[in-house]
Formats: sequence, C-alpha cells, structure tokens
Amino acid sequence: MSDFYQTGVITTLHRLGKPSLERIEGELLHFSRTRPVALVLPALYSEFEGPAMPKIVEELSKVKYLCEIVLVLDKASDKEFQKVREFMAPIPGDVKIIHNDGRRVMEIYDTFKRNGLSVGERGKGRSAWLAYGYVIANGKCDVIALHDCDIVNYSREMLARLCYPVANPNLDYVFCKGFYSRVTNKMHGRVTRLLVTPLIRSLQSLGGEHRFLKFIDSFRYPLAGEFAMSTDMARVNRIPWDWGLEVGSLAEVYRNYSPRRICQVDIADTYEHKHQVLSSEDPEKGLMKMTIDICKSIFRTLASEGIVFSDGFFKSLSVAYLRLAEDTIMKYEADAAINGLEFDRHEEAKAVESFARAIAMAAETFMKNPMGTPLIPNWNRVTSAIPGILDMLKKAVDEDNR
Amino acid sequence: MQDFLTLVLEPFREVFAGFKRFAPNMLAMLTILIGGLVFARIVRALLRKALTALSFDAWSDRMGFTVMMRKGDLWTKPAEAVVRVVFWFLVIFTIMIGLSALKVHAVNTLVAQFFLYLPRVLSAVLILVIGYVAAGFLSRTVLIALVNNGYHYAKVLAEAVRLLLIVLILAMALEQLQVAPNIVVAAFSIIFGGIVIALAIAFGAGGIEAARRIIEKGAAEKSEGKDDIQHL
Repeated sequence: MSDFYQTGVITTLHRLGKPSLERIEGELLHFSRTRPVALVLPALYSEFEGPAMPKIVEELSKVKYLCEIVLVLDKASDKEFQKVREFMAPIPGDVKIIHNDGRRVMEIYDTFKRNGLSVGERGKGRSAWLAYGYVIANGKCDVIALHDCDIVNYSREMLARLCYPVANPNLDYVFCKGFYSRVTNKMHGRVTRLLVTPLIRSLQSLGGEHRFLKFIDSFRYPLAGEFAMSTDMARVNRIPWDWGLEVGSLAEVYRNYSPRRICQVDIADTYEHKHQVLSSEDPEKGLMKMTIDICKSIFRTLASEGIVFSDGFFKSLSVAYLRLAEDTIMKYEADAAINGLEFDRHEEAKAVESFARAIAMAAETFMKNPMGTPLIPNWNRVTSAIPGILDMLKKAVDEDNR
Repeated sequence: MQDFLTLVLEPFREVFAGFKRFAPNMLAMLTILIGGLVFARIVRALLRKALTALSFDAWSDRMGFTVMMRKGDLWTKPAEAVVRVVFWFLVIFTIMIGLSALKVHAVNTLVAQFFLYLPRVLSAVLILVIGYVAAGFLSRTVLIALVNNGYHYAKVLAEAVRLLLIVLILAMALEQLQVAPNIVVAAFSIIFGGIVIALAIAFGAGGIEAARRIIEKGAAEKSEGKDDIQHL
C-alpha cells in the first residue's frame, strides 16, 4: 500500500486499502456500454515462446469489458502468424491480430511510404501506431489501453486499474499512465531512476522552472509502457518510433491536453519483465541506445518550447547531471538497505557514467540536427494525405484474420 | 499394284500439299506471336517506368482507386495492376491477330467477334473509372454540405448516395458489356424505382403534418392580407 501524496501537476491514483477486482471490473463492464475499451498489445513472435504470454492470455480470457483486442505481431512468418491465432483463440470476443510481416500489411506500409509519410522503422512505436489506426478504422471503441507482452507477473487487475480512470465518464481523464515499482531481490528500472529523473531535475536547476519539465517530473514512472487514452487522443498525437516512445508520447500529451485531464495510476505492487543490457561501449544497442533516444526526445521537446541550447549549456548539464545522479545513487542505496534488497553501488555508478556519456552523445547529435528526432505523423494527417487508408487498413487486417 | 500405291500415297500427298499451303500461315502466326510478345514486354517495361515516374500509385491512393482494389482483396500496387492488364491485353491481342493469320474460317469468326466486342469492354472500363471518381466526389460533396447544415445522418446519407451511384454505374457498365442486358435494366429499374417510391412514401407520410401547417399558414396569411392592406 502506498501513501496518498499527490505528485506534481497531474493526478496520482494510489492503491489504497485492498480494492476489489470484482467491483472495478463490474463498473468497467457498466462503463464499457458508453465508453467501449480496446486493448492494444504490441508483441514479437518470440514473446509467445516465453513465459509471459500464456499467463497474459489466461488472464485476458477472463476479462469481459473489453470491446476488442488488437495484437500487433512483429517478426513472424505466415506459419507463426497462424500459430499465434491459435494461441489467442481461448480469449472470447473480438481479437484481431495485425500481421506486420504479412503481404497485405506490408502493402499498407508501402502506401505510407509512397505518399511521403515516414512511419519509421520496425518497433513498438510503429506497431502501436498502426494498431491505433485499426481501432480508429473500426470505430467501435472510445478508449484504448496498451501494455507490453513480456510482463511475467501479469494480472488482469493491472488492466482494470489502467482502464478505469479513462473509461469512467465521471472522472473525465483522457490519458492515464501506469506506475509500479520494479523490484525483485534488487531494484531495476535504472533508466528511470538514474537517468530520466536526475536529468529532468538537472535541466530544471540549470534552466529554471519549466512547465514541460514539471509535467514529466510529475510522473512516478515516466518510462512505463502501460497506459490508457481516449481514441480521440490517438488521432491527434504523433508517436516517436524509436526508444523515445514513452517520453515523446508524454510530450505530445502535454502539448495537446491540459494536465488536469492526465493521471497516473498504481497498477501493481511489483512489475517484472525482461531487462535490457547496458552495452555501455556500443551506443547503437541496449540501454545506451535507449538513453540517447530518450535524451534527444527531451531536448527536442524543450527546444520546441523555446529553450535555447548551446555547447556551454550541455557542458554544465553533464556536470549537474553527474552530481545529481550520484546523490540519487546514495538515496537508493539507503532505500535498498532498509528494505533488505541487494544493491551494487559500483554497477549503479557505472550505469550513471554510461548515461552521462549518452547525454553528451545525444547533445552532440541534437546540435548537429535538431529536427532529427523521428515522429510518426498523427492519424488525422495520414487520413488527409490518403483518404481511404483506414478502409484499406481495416480490410487488410480483417482479411488476414478471416 | 500401281493403283494401290497411288491410293496409299494420295492422302500423304494431299496432307503435304495442305501443309505447304498452311505452313506460311503458321509461320506468320508464330512470327506475329513472338513479335507481339516482345512488343508487349517492351511496353510493359516502358509503362512501368512511366507510371513510376508519374507517381501513379500515390495518385491512385488519393483518387480512391487503391481503396477500390483493396476492397476487392487485390493487394498489388495500382501501377503494377495497370501494367499487368495492359500486358495481358497486348498478349491476347497478339494471339487474336496471330490466330487470324492462320486463315481458318472458325477462328476468323471468333477473332472478328473479339474485335467487335473490344470497344464495349473499353467503354465499360471507362464508365467504371469515371463513375467511381464521380461517385466519390458527389458523396464527399453531400457529406460536406450536410455536415455544414448540421444533419446528424450526414455520413449515412453520403454513403447512400455513393452506393446508389455505384449501383447505377455497375448497371451501365454491365449494359455496355451486353451481359444479360434485359435483366440488368429490369433489376436496376426495380431497385432504383423501389428506392424512389420508398423515399416518396416516407417523405409523403412523414410530411403530412408539415404540409398541413405550411398550407394553413399560407391560407391564414392570405386572408389576413386581404383585411389589412388595400392596393389601389
């Protein structure tokens, strides 16, 4: 059970007492009559061979309030696509699988390309974006929820808590992000703990108070991949296709909606999924690549808000970040000690040094090309460029699932 | 013995003579076929390049032809589809010309029928293409006009207009192709007439009250006008 402190400019919905899953699901079933909910699942075929997916399917087969489930399957052959269809068959209701490598969907991607719409490279961002397009094309759902497919300790309570704030018409939230602690026998989530929060606070200490920085800092887990939003938001928001997906999406939410209509919700006591390697020597892989993309996304958003960056600013930022991150390590060491968790201070310090290098690399890339951070155009622009694209997408997915 | 040999060899001579008469035609047909196929391949390559240079695919996406193809579960690129249609048209054209070079009566009749039917096919295709674009344009116009006037069922009505126009276009194309023309015309008349009658009844029955009010208002204004104003 957490405290009930409200963080920053957005609303925080805590887990207080022992909320009943039956009650919340019952209410969601009632809300779904006026605000139907779609669930988007971006997945790789390899995730169906792992331990998480069977549990997710088992849990989802008990959920009654979902209007449709759209799974975007990446890196799968035609045969593997059929296997996934069989795998998902126990889930009752409308389940659609978008076969990213299928003939029809590939042709859809080609249609974007030839009309001058860059939808980026393969990845979670592009998959999620395509799934939103399908939900919009179907026109059945008012709310879209999304979570990853590698959650080992998945329970349907996570989904229910995630959907509740946006599906409940009395609360009037348009975006809800999940938060949780990522703890096993030690603390995980290094990028959030040791990069994002110290970097945001360093930027605040150097450049002064800024609404966007305050907004990002309000999120307890800004890199959480689980969120729910209104379908209208999926129409107007652009999505980064690289690792800047979570931060970039928050930047779009900040740009298009008032913080009063944004909330975060405690969805689980703990959350366990695959861990990325640091790969501190290779900026094109692992957490280093993720870090660089996240930093570029933050710098670009701030630049678009009128912040002027210079070489001197970035040099000061590196120093300020390093100092703040080192202080943060000490805080987490104490936190780990009182909770009896393993804590490798040297590893944490190495991660901070790598992140500092990544910030410098991101700054260099940003100075060379400030417009370089990739964003997939929003669906309003896409439908304006290609009026029949939603019909084509719907046909492609429906035919693949026939 | 000599007679017997003549009897045996005569058919061979006749066949050989026939072959001698037929061989140039056969050779002409083969030459036409080979030449035609080479020509079709050249046209295919040139057309492919030209359509790519003209961004035909992107144009089709914007004009709605791609959607039409996808709705029919055709997932080749529009330019490639056009290239294939033209290529196979040229191949069939070549085969027909080649067959006519054989100078066989039955085949000649078939070829003549094919060439007589060709203009109908072309006009049917033209009707379909222009009609589809026009239907899309009119449907969008109706949608914009109704939305701007605040009608709730704008999208449904716009779709209905599009559907009706497509039915009309299909009927015209089928009539052009002479595919059971009587049945097509009858079916079209029944469907279209039915819809018009249904609309007339719906508006008529639903508009009785409104019509009464308009007439009563008109009559009242007339009678009031008589009392108040005198024109000299």
